[in-house]
Amino acid sequence: MINSEKIKLELVEHLIWLIILGVFIVFSLTIPHFFTIRNLLFILYAASPLGFLVFGEAIALLSGNMDLSLSENAGLTAMLVGVILVDWAPWLPGWVGIILMVLVGALLGAVNGFFVGKMKINPFLITLSTFIMFNWSTYYLRRGVIVKVPDALLVLGGGKTGGIFNSIFVIVGMVFILYILLEHTRFGSHIKAIGGNSEASGMLGISVENINFWIFTISGAMAGISGLLYVGYLKCIPSTIADGAIFLAFAGAIMGGVSLQGGRGSIIGALGGLILMGIIDAGCTMTAMEPALRGVLNGFILLIAILINRTRESLRDRILMPK
Amino acid sequence: MEEKNINKNLPLVRVEDIYKWYGKVQALKGINFEVYPSEVVGLIGDNGAGKSTLIKILSGVLYKNRGKIYWKGEEVNIFSVKEARNLGIETVYQDQAVIGCLSVAQNIFMGRQPVKSWGPIKILDKSKMREESEKLAKDLKLHIPSADQEVRFCSGGERQGVAISRAMYFKAKLVILDEPTTALAISGVNKVLNFITRLKEEKIASIFVTHNLYHVYSVADRFVVLSRG
Repeated sequence: MINSEKIKLELVEHLIWLIILGVFIVFSLTIPHFFTIRNLLFILYAASPLGFLVFGEAIALLSGNMDLSLSENAGLTAMLVGVILVDWAPWLPGWVGIILMVLVGALLGAVNGFFVGKMKINPFLITLSTFIMFNWSTYYLRRGVIVKVPDALLVLGGGKTGGIFNSIFVIVGMVFILYILLEHTRFGSHIKAIGGNSEASGMLGISVENINFWIFTISGAMAGISGLLYVGYLKCIPSTIADGAIFLAFAGAIMGGVSLQGGRGSIIGALGGLILMGIIDAGCTMTAMEPALRGVLNGFILLIAILINRTRESLRDRILMPK
Repeated sequence: MEEKNINKNLPLVRVEDIYKWYGKVQALKGINFEVYPSEVVGLIGDNGAGKSTLIKILSGVLYKNRGKIYWKGEEVNIFSVKEARNLGIETVYQDQAVIGCLSVAQNIFMGRQPVKSWGPIKILDKSKMREESEKLAKDLKLHIPSADQEVRFCSGGERQGVAISRAMYFKAKLVILDEPTTALAISGVNKVLNFITRLKEEKIASIFVTHNLYHVYSVADRFVVLSRG
């Protein structure tokens, strides 16, 4: 491949970062106090709970599946662990709650994984049912807010180490782990393979059932961590936690170039999608934009992202096409 | 069932009196045949004659209802694709079991990629996969610019080449090609016929399933004709 083509390809592959840079420059020039290190760190901090939902959705989409229940999983996990620590077993040390968050999230995800993987039911239908069940289970457990949350549950989502929010370390660490998992392990290649062509993957001896089960379980664990970070960010556990965030999770993954058809996309791209949403969100907050208008803007940005990604894919094809 | 030119050695694989029913429909009725080492056998039959069923039984996708399969003289039961692969039976499917959005290298090694240990974690050895794939591609005269090329940009013949490289790399003893020329243009057909000759040079036996006698005529050592099970 000629060198200039390689550069073009890299630019196309990482288009999301160019867009981020562009939006960032515009905001820095027009909004006072936007361009400060403190503000940048705060943007990442505020976006990190949603980030784990974006990652969970990205993994599900890469494998050719989808998971509608992730945000409600995060909400139910947070509420259930909160109720366990506050009402049912107050003698439990707080740090157990952190482990419980991950485990409960993974377990709820495994329910989806069982039905999609072993029973071969359409992921849209299964996660739609669990979305409704998880959502109302949260309200059944507690309608309102748990205010007295054990400190240990707030450390990762709300605490700071050396002046930097802990959740930033958590999200950066997870991006690294997921990058290795998806790009450099057999398991990751199997996820992309079944996303690309699940029938052919089966013929090549890959257990589509098992991979599907684990994908939903891992996505569920991501939702559990997301719940944990939301609790730390909000310093309480309301029953509306992460409500409706699933649409933003899809939006982030898709803006980051993860394809709905499966097999294409990367976790770094998904991170890009998240950061772009975070920057725009911060810009709206700092200019005190009308909340309803912000919602409209979010939808509009997603639409633009879809159009840009379509162009990006065809540009990529044109560069990669053998001559 | 009709055979010509019988080899005297021990057959690599021998199927004896194989029966297969799908519910009440009888797909195979007492099939017997054998394949000798480094032999190209053309398995010919009309559509619906049971060719696909027979090869699915050999490649571990379906299980026989009755009858015996001998591998190098010993009776074996093939319950899964993995077991068939462990014996050394590799299948190249009609619909080209390739994953379009992944690279040629990933496709050749999918399911059995070489790994390097990184402490407890096993990391894909991508450079080895790339090197080996490029060697295989050169060997089979596949015209791909690099092993990183995504398979969806490959022609039909080249896709079959990717599937056949799997068999070559993993040292298969028997390659089953299920209608490998059906969906191809003439240039693609010639390519596939060349691949089969290459397999023979590597002393790999193959079963070439087809309903087109002309395609198989130039490469096969022997024919097995299947008529209505």
